[in-house]
Amino acid sequence: MSEEQKVAIIACAGMDKSLGSVARACAFKVVEELRSEGSVLVCIPPLVAGVKPHSEWIKEYPIITIDGCSERCATKIVARIGGKIRGRVFIPQSVQKHGLKPKASADIGPEGEELAEKIADETALLVDKILRK
Amino acid sequence: MAIVKDKVGVVSCSGEDLPEGTISRIATRIVLEKLRPNDTVTICLPLFLAGSEDERAFARVFPTIAIDGCDKRCAEVGTKKYSGKPVATIVVSEIMQKYPYLKAKSRGKLSAKEKELALKVAEEIAAKVDEVLERKKRGDSN
Repeated sequence: MSEEQKVAIIACAGMDKSLGSVARACAFKVVEELRSEGSVLVCIPPLVAGVKPHSEWIKEYPIITIDGCSERCATKIVARIGGKIRGRVFIPQSVQKHGLKPKASADIGPEGEELAEKIADETALLVDKILRK
Repeated sequence: MAIVKDKVGVVSCSGEDLPEGTISRIATRIVLEKLRPNDTVTICLPLFLAGSEDERAFARVFPTIAIDGCDKRCAEVGTKKYSGKPVATIVVSEIMQKYPYLKAKSRGKLSAKEKELALKVAEEIAAKVDEVLERKKRGDSN
């Protein structure tokens, strides 16, 4: 493993679209279950408000952004702050790839859960790839 | 002629850091979808913070209530910084003190108790929406 021991995961977590909720569920799965040792979750509102440790992690760790729609808010915000983006996940693309459709923003339903798990698996591999470099 | 109905913007912290953030998010959806669907709209906080002019313009024109999970008050701070001061802020961790038997433990799926807590918070938000609209109707700007 390289000197970079962790990867920061930043999901858009947008509330008005179900894909934002999938992005959020996927991020939890990676940081809490799949790569709990190798990743940290950076929350956008405290990051923009300058709250530690989120504002420090963004400078310290390589970043994977997870965006729920074409606005790509997570990526835009990280780019504006000057974080080092090493991987990007775009949920609409994963929807097409896996053919699974989440139900709603408040409850993504079984298909949404399955989709989040599949994307989380792929994101975890991305974490490994970044940490091996 | 179209009549534009007064609406209240509800800006919820996206709540990934603490379980209280998940409660704020679900409570906001309950208000938008069930309790006050005709009186409220949400502003997507990440989009707002990323610089969407539409979202920011809305918060300058319409009254906005910030729903924060904890006393860091990120939704309130963000709204104030990029648009205008929210007319009210509801902090989930403060409401929870009224219901000590309802704990927020999960950042993901909510338990029955957590759903009950989300509903309590939603009811407080709905009451605040009514209050804001009533004030607006009376022509009270504050």
